[in-house]
Amino acid sequence: MTTFGPHERTLAELFAEAAFKALDDAGATNDRIDAFYLGNTLGGMTENETHLAPKLATHVGITGVPAQRFEDACATSSNAFKHAVQAVENGIHDVVLVGGVERCTPETGLDTPRMTEIFASASDKQYEQPAGITFPGVFALLTNRHMHEYGTTEEQLASVAVKNHANGQHNPHAHFGKETTVEEVLESPLIADPFRLMDCCPFSDGASAVVVTSSDAADSFDSPVDVKGIGHATGTVPAADKESLTATQPARDAAASAYEQSGRSAADVDFAEVHDCFTGAEILATEALGFFDDGEGGPAAEAGRTALDGEIPVNPSGGLKAKGHPIGATGTAQIVELTTQLRGEAGDRQITDAETGLAHNLGGDAGTTLVTLMEARA
Amino acid sequence: MSDDELVDGDLTYASWKRALRDGDLLGQKCRDCRHATAAPKAACAHCGSRELETVELPTTGAIYSETTITVPPRQFSDDDPYQVAIVELDEARVMAHIDGAVEIGDTVRLQGSIEADDAPAPLFG
Ligand SMILES: [Zn+2]
Repeated sequence: MTTFGPHERTLAELFAEAAFKALDDAGATNDRIDAFYLGNTLGGMTENETHLAPKLATHVGITGVPAQRFEDACATSSNAFKHAVQAVENGIHDVVLVGGVERCTPETGLDTPRMTEIFASASDKQYEQPAGITFPGVFALLTNRHMHEYGTTEEQLASVAVKNHANGQHNPHAHFGKETTVEEVLESPLIADPFRLMDCCPFSDGASAVVVTSSDAADSFDSPVDVKGIGHATGTVPAADKESLTATQPARDAAASAYEQSGRSAADVDFAEVHDCFTGAEILATEALGFFDDGEGGPAAEAGRTALDGEIPVNPSGGLKAKGHPIGATGTAQIVELTTQLRGEAGDRQITDAETGLAHNLGGDAGTTLVTLMEARA
Repeated sequence: MSDDELVDGDLTYASWKRALRDGDLLGQKCRDCRHATAAPKAACAHCGSRELETVELPTTGAIYSETTITVPPRQFSDDDPYQVAIVELDEARVMAHIDGAVEIGDTVRLQGSIEADDAPAPLFG
């Protein structure tokens, strides 16, 4: 992956850096790639760029293979990854390059009101956007309801940001490389209450990529890790139609599917990368994934149970909060972190004896969620 | 008011929008499972039935969740901070723009609608 943060480079140039790193890391030459699965969410709106899959395939020298682009809001490249895994499992392809790329910072030439409008495009055009809802606003509605039902506090939310910044300082690819404090989070300006600036992930540019291969072919590449299960679920939209605002039901359904496919349970997971677009989203996710009972996510975060040295480390990479969130690149960036941890190559943020890792990547108002379970190769 | 007077045929966005501008908040109720929604669809989100009845939703409800938007999208960029809420109206919930200040549990009434880029949203307060 590239570093996440503001980049002056084009989408193609950013993607090429991530793609070449992934190919070189796997020891894969271009002639072995027989398909390309791309995640990009906003390119049509932010840069007037569509038909990106063949464009980027050509740019990195894999012209001629089937190339396709996926879009499912922030879950975009996890969905590309899922389709690649299913394609190699079913013998449709042997080796697939999967990646995501996005530019969301003012480098696109768009200001904050316009980017806020674009991010709100995942909300319903007729029945949500006219009310003035924003992307932080949607998660604020979920989180305020969680605070109302369970007594989750602003300090507990802030503790998620503090933890993820602490982790991010050990990640050379992270958008933010410095620590913060609960006080600093609580003093930052409001965006959509209860979220303050420091509860929110940043607008980032960046790209990420991985090489997916059949299990049989894997040992002909360098340092493979295993994908044991990928659950993918969607739920009712718009938000007002959800039975529960706090359950994030698609995450529960996707996790159940990933656990079933892998024969593992929440208790077997050594660490997780979860979709902390906002601090409240991480708390909801840790409950939906079964790490904590409903209502216990906030107290658990505050007590350090999700810290690097906690019982279930969450977002060792720094998460979206500190690592950054270039929308379409986020899903495969989580897979990059799982791979790095499972290989034992994560340096100062390495989880001790990391053998089973989980990635949780959501889109929209959590109406789409993918949960991927990966393990070190035996 | 009878169903026939509410809309002619399935509840389209155009009809929903026209009614809202006239001060009526329309929704749908499934004839098969009785699931209700304030966001009209082609089929029931709960059971898939296409037998949807157009209904006039209650104009009084309770705040189910809310947030104050301090950093707005382009269409609202000249506005002071404002609240957006999910309002519980009997069997259906609706996302609404809020007039004034509310908390979860507060009783609110339909005050009309606001417009953004020629699209109305329910205004409660
Ligand atoms: Zn029904």
